Amino acid sequence: MKFSTIVYLELYKIFRKPRTYIAFGAIAAIVGLIQLGFYADGKNYMQFGLQSFTDSFDINGNIMNGYLMAYIILQLMLVHVPLLIALVAGDMISGEAAQGTLRVLLTKPISRAKLIAGKFSATAIYTIALLIWMAIWALGISMIVFGIDDMLILKSDLVTQIVKTDILWRYAAAFGFAALAMTTVAAMSFFLSLFAENSIGPIMATMSIIIVFTILNTLDLPIFDKVKPFLFTSHMLGWKGFFDVQINENNEQIVGSIENLPAVMISGGILLLHIIGFLIASVVVFRRKDVLS
Amino acid sequence: MILEVEQLKKRFGNFVAVDDLSFSVQQGEVYGFLGQNGAGKSTTIRMLLSLITPTSGSIQLFGKSITEHREEILNQMGAVVEKPDLYKYLTGYENLSLFAKMSGKDISKEIINNTLALVGLEKRCHDPVRVYSQGMKQRLGIAVALVHDPAFIILDEPTNGLDPQGIADIRNLILYLSKERKKTVLVSSHLLSEIEQVADSMLIINKGKKIVEGRVNELLNPNHVRLEITVDDDQKAKQLIENTSWSKGLKNAPDGKLIVETEAQAIGQLNKLLVESNINVTSLRSMNSLEAYFLSLTTGNEV
Repeated sequence: MKFSTIVYLELYKIFRKPRTYIAFGAIAAIVGLIQLGFYADGKNYMQFGLQSFTDSFDINGNIMNGYLMAYIILQLMLVHVPLLIALVAGDMISGEAAQGTLRVLLTKPISRAKLIAGKFSATAIYTIALLIWMAIWALGISMIVFGIDDMLILKSDLVTQIVKTDILWRYAAAFGFAALAMTTVAAMSFFLSLFAENSIGPIMATMSIIIVFTILNTLDLPIFDKVKPFLFTSHMLGWKGFFDVQINENNEQIVGSIENLPAVMISGGILLLHIIGFLIASVVVFRRKDVLS
Repeated sequence: MILEVEQLKKRFGNFVAVDDLSFSVQQGEVYGFLGQNGAGKSTTIRMLLSLITPTSGSIQLFGKSITEHREEILNQMGAVVEKPDLYKYLTGYENLSLFAKMSGKDISKEIINNTLALVGLEKRCHDPVRVYSQGMKQRLGIAVALVHDPAFIILDEPTNGLDPQGIADIRNLILYLSKERKKTVLVSSHLLSEIEQVADSMLIINKGKKIVEGRVNELLNPNHVRLEITVDDDQKAKQLIENTSWSKGLKNAPDGKLIVETEAQAIGQLNKLLVESNINVTSLRSMNSLEAYFLSLTTGNEV
């Protein structure tokens, strides 16, 4: 049986399940609400945020533009999207076990490794589709509603300005990186779903792990410093690296530059290693699994 | 030979679900696999389909090991294991179409429609499975097992939860598959009356162990009866019978009773012997149905 057929059938099942659309609906609703809020009160919010800079600088133009909106939305949303990913990824095996279809599937002449790879590929495609959907809303709709201009990113002690002609490729890269980060979450949730016979367990376990790892990341204690670089949660916000630009001697942005590309690449590599690790572990576990459901 | 199982064992922790089980299924026959609930039937079937790994023993299907040639063998098999669980959010047609594609064969819409007609679901096939009755789910499960035209079909308790008409339909379907389509069918049940009507050969297991295997018509031989005799002195009666030609048919029995397997025409002679030996026979029951045989074996009265 062709691998592409397995992926197609798994995608068919994912997109016929009502729960799949919860994530798409939630993203549309949350992004829409954020956009509505900023549309109504964004100027005051920006004035407040730029208060410390307006004394020294004359800031003109459409500050509250679509590019900045997308950045704000990405920052707010990517913390919560793992739950939406786990809704489907955590159900991929456990859901089949719960409804008894796993044993029906495994009476068909498909190798277990191929089935797992097919199911994981479908999960990854779902994850990417969700990120594309998010990009459409966060970036596409924001650009239409708020317009475009140069992008100002406010940090604690500085403001980065990126010219409007140098932004779209950064978003393409950022969403690509976010897809990698979310696929890592999907891979972990998928792996956990091998051990459960309903999807609640894997979803809860996924969120618990992310919360615990995130807390470890924020705790500034030496005992945790050695493990932090290896936690995938340490690298999930690596997409922000695409918006850190190099500047020339005149303090102007170098178009097309990234301040610390190696760091972004390392983060991406660590996430990729996690995905491969979870996938290999899933195949190994599933090949030995007694199907008792 | 389609299936050959040798010394199969499955252990879950300290619990032995299947113990040293050996049996074989010939091509073209309907093979009844009998046992009470929890006897180890479904565990055995799961091992035949490589859903679970045996602790020890071997399974040869179509002359090949299931562990080494899993996909090649499953390509020629169809199965319903326990409940016919399917995707509730899809229609019957969509379920069947999906599993047909999973079989890896090029299965046309015509074949799918014919399979649905075979199990009597052609009129309801576009309804979602969540509104199906148990009987309809069972029939759709069987359609999933049949759609890729397998040579060997395993049906695990296919009449569970069905009404009398549904049971009769499944029985007729099994006979049709065997006689008209020349399929080999292994059908499990805890009801002997069901197996009695469709199977050529049968195996009875209890607590994971083989109790008896043989041709159904031999096990059902009306000339060979099983007598349950209630007497006032079972020890004296037992000693008496042990000195006769009936001794080889004497089986273990609860206190106050004797169980003797013998020819039907010898019932009167045996009764006469006991009475003439001053043993009071209070009841004498002849059991020649497979069901009585099955019950006696699985309640532990076998020698």
